[in-house]
Amino acid sequence: MSKGYRASAGIMLAPAVTLIGAFILVPMLLTVWLSFQDWSTQTPFSAARFIGLANFQDIFGSTSVGRDFKGALVNTAIYTALSVAIILPLSVLFGLLVHQRDVGGGTLLRTVLFSTYMVPMIAVALVWSKLYSPSEGPFNQMLGFIGIGPQPWLSSPRSALVSIVLLNVWQQVGYFTVLAIAGLTQIPGSLYEAATLDGASRAEQFRFITLPLLRRTLLFSAVIAIINAVQVFEPVALITQGGPVGSTNVLTYHIRRVGIERAQGGLGSAMAVMLMLTLIVVVCALFAFMNRKDDE
Amino acid sequence: MSLAWTSKLALAAGLAFVPGWASAAAVNISYLTHWSPETVALLESAAKDYAKTNPDVSVTVRAVPFGDLLTTLRSQGGSAEGPTIGGIYDLWLPELVRDKLVAPAPDAVAAEVKSAWPAGVVSAASVGGAPYGIPNEIDVYALNYNKDLFKQAGIAAAPKTWDEFRAAAKKLTNKDAGQQGFGMINSWAAGVVHPFASLLVSNGGELVAGGKPALDSKQAGETFGLYESLIKDGSSDPSMATADANTTGPFLDNFVSGKTGMIIMANWWESALKTGMGAKFSNIATAPIPVGPSGDKPHSISYSWMTVVNAKAGAAEQKAAWDFLAWLNSPKSGKNGASAMSDILMSMGILPSRSSDIEAHKAKLGTEFLAGYVGVLADAKPFPVVAGGQEFSESLQQTLEALQYGQISAKDAEAKAQADAVSILDRAAK
Repeated sequence: MSKGYRASAGIMLAPAVTLIGAFILVPMLLTVWLSFQDWSTQTPFSAARFIGLANFQDIFGSTSVGRDFKGALVNTAIYTALSVAIILPLSVLFGLLVHQRDVGGGTLLRTVLFSTYMVPMIAVALVWSKLYSPSEGPFNQMLGFIGIGPQPWLSSPRSALVSIVLLNVWQQVGYFTVLAIAGLTQIPGSLYEAATLDGASRAEQFRFITLPLLRRTLLFSAVIAIINAVQVFEPVALITQGGPVGSTNVLTYHIRRVGIERAQGGLGSAMAVMLMLTLIVVVCALFAFMNRKDDE
Repeated sequence: MSLAWTSKLALAAGLAFVPGWASAAAVNISYLTHWSPETVALLESAAKDYAKTNPDVSVTVRAVPFGDLLTTLRSQGGSAEGPTIGGIYDLWLPELVRDKLVAPAPDAVAAEVKSAWPAGVVSAASVGGAPYGIPNEIDVYALNYNKDLFKQAGIAAAPKTWDEFRAAAKKLTNKDAGQQGFGMINSWAAGVVHPFASLLVSNGGELVAGGKPALDSKQAGETFGLYESLIKDGSSDPSMATADANTTGPFLDNFVSGKTGMIIMANWWESALKTGMGAKFSNIATAPIPVGPSGDKPHSISYSWMTVVNAKAGAAEQKAAWDFLAWLNSPKSGKNGASAMSDILMSMGILPSRSSDIEAHKAKLGTEFLAGYVGVLADAKPFPVVAGGQEFSESLQQTLEALQYGQISAKDAEAKAQADAVSILDRAAK
C-alpha cells in the first residue's frame, strides 16, 4: 500500500474514528477508570480517589451493597434468558405464519405485530400496570371466566419479574418477527420444491431447511434481543420500582439508583463495568457457539 | 440624513443587539416539585400573585413523580440551568449539602426561619446549624381505619395497644371477600419504613440512637415480631400492598375500596383518600398509633419537607429564588394571616410547619381526619436525618418486604437490618 494511499485513507477515516473515540471509547474508558475510584457523581473527576479493587470487593461482598448487586445481576440474567427464550421461537412462528404465501392477511398481521414495537414504553407501562391489577385487572377477570383464581402478577416477588418479561415479549416480538421474515425470504423456494418432490413433510422441511438456513438471522436476533433485554429500564422504573423485595431490581435500574440517586459514582461504575464484561462474554460465547456449529 | 440622525440610529441598532438589554432586570427561576397538576396550578397562581409586585421575576413550575424527584435534582441540580428551587424531603438534605448542590439560606432568611418555625423543624432543615431551606410541611403518622368495616366486625373502638391492634386486624380479615385487616405497603421506601418506624417509636424504640443504628434493641425485635405475627395470622396480605412511582397503586386502591380495614399512613394522603373515596371519605377515622408492650404512650415519627435553592444557579436567580420563597412562606402571601404555601399544603391535607400557619389554619386543622394527626404532633419523634439516610431507608425497606413475604423470620430480619444499617451509615460517614 502506497504512502499516499495510506494518508488519504487515514484522512477519510479520521472523522469517524474521532467521533467514535470521543463519544464511545472515552466514556467507556472513563467508566473503567472510575470503577477503581471513590467518587461522588456530584464532584469533579479531580476529586476521585484511587481505591484499587475496593468497589469490586464491595459489589461482590456480603453487605447490602453486594447483596443488592448480585440480586440485580441474577434478575437481569433471568429476565434476559426468559425474554430471549420466548421471543425467538415466537418470532419464527409468527414469521412462518406471515410468510405463508397461500394464506391471506399476511401484510395485515405483519403490521399488527410490528405496531406494538412502535408504542412508547410509557403508554405500554401505564396500560399493562392496570391490566395486571390484582383486584380489577382484566387479566384476572379473564382468568376468572375459565375458573382460575386471581394471580398476584406484579404484587408477588415470585411472579413480578415474569410479568415484566411478558410485557417485554408483547412489545418486542413484532420487531423480531420482521427480522425472521427477512431471513425467511432469503431461503430459495427451490429447496422446498425439491424437498416436497423427495417426500419431505412440512416438519422435516422446517427442521432440515428452514432452521439451518435461518441460523445467521437467529444469531443476529439473539444478540439484539440479549442487548435489549440487558438494558431493560423503563417498565421497572415506571411500574415496580425494583420491587417487591427487589424481585424486579434489574442492573440498569440499580446502577441508576446507586450512581445517580445515591451519587456513589465509583460503585455505580464498577457495576457498569461488570455489566459490560458480562455482556461481552455472553455475546462472544454465542458467536463462538454458532461458529462451531457452522464448522460442523 | 443628518449625521446626528445617523448616529442615533446606529446607537439604537447597537443597543438592540446587546444581549438582554431590553430586559436587563428580568429573571427566570424554575421550581421543581412532585405535586399533582391540581396543586401545581395553585403554586402557579401564587407565582402570578408574586409577579404583580415583582414583574421582573417569572417563576415556572415543573413537576416529576415522587420516585424521580431526587434523581432529577441530582442529575440537573449540578448546573446553572437546573431547577432554581427544589422541594425536598429532609432526609436528602445532608448529602445534597455535602455535594454542594444546595445553597445556604441568606442571613435574613435564616434568621426568619429560626424565629418563625419550631426548633425541631429548623434543625431538620439545617446542616451544621445553618439553615439550607425554608421548611414548609410536616408529616406525622396515625392509624387510619374504615368505620364501616369496624362496625361490621363488631369492633367498638380503635385499638390502643398492639394486642388490641392484632385482634382487630384478625377480626377485620375476610379472605373470601378479599379483605385484609391491616394494610402494609411495599415497593416504596418511605411507605414501607415510616409505618414500621412509627410502631417502633410507639414501642419505646428508635431507628438510630446517638448516630448509631438501634435495630437490634428489644423494642425493635418486638416490632419485627409484630409484623411477622400479622403475616402469620393472615391479617395482612402483601399482594395487596404494592405502591407505584406516584405513591399510589393497589395499597391505596384496596383501602379506598373498603378491602383494607386499617393502615398506618401520613396526613398528606387526605387528598388521595378524598379523590378515591368521594362521599365515602367520611367512613375514615384516625387514631393514634397503638402502643407496644415496651412503649409508654402513642408516638409517631415525623418528617418535614422544605424548599432549597440550587447552589449552581446564577447570583441573580438565587437572590430572586430566596425572595420568592420568603414571600411564599410569609404570612403576607396567603389568606387571613396564613402563608400562600400553607394554603397550598392545606388543600392536600398537609400540615404546615410554620407556627403562624398552624394558628391561621386552626379551624381546618380541627376537622375529624386532621385532628387525629395534629393530636400526635407533640409526641412525634423526627425520622433520623443522617448521611446515608436514603440508602438506610431502602435497605430497611428490602428487609421489611422480605418479612412481609415470609422470606425471612423476624429474628433474622432484625439481625440483617442492623448489620446493613451499621455498614451503610459507617460508609456514608467516611
